[in-house]
Amino acid sequence: MLETINLTKRYEDGELALDGLTVKVEPGEIFCMFGANGAGKTTTINLFLNFIPPTSGTALVEGIDVAKDPLKAKRHVSFVSENVMLYGNFTAIQNLDYFSKLAGKRNLTKKDYAAVLDRVGLQKEAFDRRVKNFSKGMRQKLGIAIAVVKDAANVLLDEPTSGLDPQSGREFLEILVQMRDQGKSVFMSTHDIFRAKLIADRIGFMRKGKLVMMKTVQDLAHEDLTDLYIQYMEEQPTASPNASPLA
Amino acid sequence: MLRDIIKKEILDNITSPKFVFTFLLCTILILLSIYTGVANYRAEKKEYTAALALNKKNMESQPNYNSLAGIGVKVSKPPQVLGTVVTGIEEAVGRVAPVNIAADPNLIDSKYSSNPVFAVFGALDLMFIVKIVLSLFAILFTYDAIVGEKEKGTLKLALSNDVPRDRLILGKAIGGYISLLLPLLIPLLLSLLFLLIVPDVSLGGQDWARLLLIFLMFFLYLSVFFSLGLFVSARTSRSSTSFLVLLFVWVIIVMVIPKVAVITAGQVKPIPSVHEITAKKDAFLQQVQVEGQKTVREWVTKNQADAGKDPKAWQEKFRQFIQDYQQQLTTKIDESNAALERDYQQKKRAQQSLAVNLSRISPASALTFGSMTLARTGVDEFDRFLASVRAYKPIYTKWINSKLGESINFQTGEQSKIKIDDMPQHVYEPEWLSRSLVRAIPDFALLTVMIIVFFVGAYVSFLHYDVR
Repeated sequence: MLETINLTKRYEDGELALDGLTVKVEPGEIFCMFGANGAGKTTTINLFLNFIPPTSGTALVEGIDVAKDPLKAKRHVSFVSENVMLYGNFTAIQNLDYFSKLAGKRNLTKKDYAAVLDRVGLQKEAFDRRVKNFSKGMRQKLGIAIAVVKDAANVLLDEPTSGLDPQSGREFLEILVQMRDQGKSVFMSTHDIFRAKLIADRIGFMRKGKLVMMKTVQDLAHEDLTDLYIQYMEEQPTASPNASPLA
Repeated sequence: MLRDIIKKEILDNITSPKFVFTFLLCTILILLSIYTGVANYRAEKKEYTAALALNKKNMESQPNYNSLAGIGVKVSKPPQVLGTVVTGIEEAVGRVAPVNIAADPNLIDSKYSSNPVFAVFGALDLMFIVKIVLSLFAILFTYDAIVGEKEKGTLKLALSNDVPRDRLILGKAIGGYISLLLPLLIPLLLSLLFLLIVPDVSLGGQDWARLLLIFLMFFLYLSVFFSLGLFVSARTSRSSTSFLVLLFVWVIIVMVIPKVAVITAGQVKPIPSVHEITAKKDAFLQQVQVEGQKTVREWVTKNQADAGKDPKAWQEKFRQFIQDYQQQLTTKIDESNAALERDYQQKKRAQQSLAVNLSRISPASALTFGSMTLARTGVDEFDRFLASVRAYKPIYTKWINSKLGESINFQTGEQSKIKIDDMPQHVYEPEWLSRSLVRAIPDFALLTVMIIVFFVGAYVSFLHYDVR
């Protein structure tokens, strides 16, 4: 389970990146966070991974305070970032092997790695190719494979679908759904409203560090997500009758 | 986990084009430097043997002791076998010190003076390669060690796991350093093998120990740049910035500080020029010569009456007077020259010492001085050699003066043929390893301190590094 309680981050230059965020992602749930650039989505993920310390509030992973025990908390988190280049001189398998070992998965064989790479939709002939020759989409798939191999109870995804072609995007969504079905908590920051609508259990809209609206998949069934997105990304949003403004 | 990080770092480096490039260039340069070093040493050794034989032949061919006293004896400095690795100042400083009655011994006939084009390009010895080329490679291996991973996103990905930052930096440092040493170790081992098998180059037990200490100093020097690279990489947020900063620091450390230190020392502690000292010595010599002629004339005038009474006894008395007086004058000249030289050397040493200590802020200077001390090709070794020649001069002067006195035949006016079998020989004992080591300890210590400071800086910086 992923949870933030009144989580706030103000940078040294005075910018308020996150303003009292309180949100909980339950096991077996996919939570998609929308927001313009600088709205606080990536800051939330960075706080979950202890890349930056919070100004106030708490980020919890499986009930573990990330700021107090970051290493223990990270054991329970897989992470996929927006644009990871990985080690260009390594093959896909070598990259996967290294990050698996860092994640504590030491007994995996080349066959296991091949199975995961196959699952994320990477072509077989690319398994032993150097990653520096990969397209952005192929690297993204490898990044997802790294998260899959770690098999943590919680998954943080920062703009994971950028660079994926429609086929790869669909395969990616299938993996996320499988993760949810396995009982994982999935927190995804994204601009991809179309894909999010297909899999999200809840969505949140962030603006200027605040969570301004949150909706469940049931709410979304009767609303146009694109309209909502445009509406809540505006400076002064007009509240929808079905919305539940939180700030 | 540490092993995985080290393994990854080594694999990542050795599969990169920069490793292949470094390995090839290191191999070519190191082997070339050893080859040219050995060729130079063999040529110098031949030259040294020839110079000894020529000097002996030249002395023996003199018609009398008078002309022998005129040409004097030439003391040649034997070449140092470790000059094959660290040329030091061997090529810049003279290899021969002429010893005669009138002049104060000094080293002349350097390789650069006989062929100035060498001075333009300098020696391509192993120390030069380590100091300039390999230190740049150390930067090339580390400038993006941290910041490059940040740019690739792999740092975030690695640290999204329960990987302690201290272990990650330690693994990167160990793996990176091993990767840097790999292209260096293989050509170095080949060089050692070459030194073992090549004829005319015989390294004694002390030489091997010195060589290993020199190699240790090379590794320490490269570690300074390696840890500096890590430090700057952990303080910057773009690899291009890191590279530029490191290049700037490298130029300051390797090129600027040593030269500025020498200029500063020259300004702070000025010394008289060699010409001033020579002019003073010449002036005193002339004064003594005038004085001497006057004294001889006075002695002859005073003892003129005795010459008629017993010419043989007078001649013997005159011979004794000339011999004693000649010795007295040369002693006087030597003492005056020695006093001037002492003062000059004292000032020169103070200036040199200031220059050396100031320049030691730079690891390049510490490497230069330390390795030259260990290879016995530095300033101190030449000073020691020159001091031994200067100590030899009065011994030689005494011998030649006695021969001059004995050889005068007042009746025939002829001088007896020369025999140099009983001429005292110059003896030069090179510095012992223990003494060299004691003198090189400050350089070892400085390099070690720099490594610790930069590594701790990198370590602490990485613990607080913004990985986003």
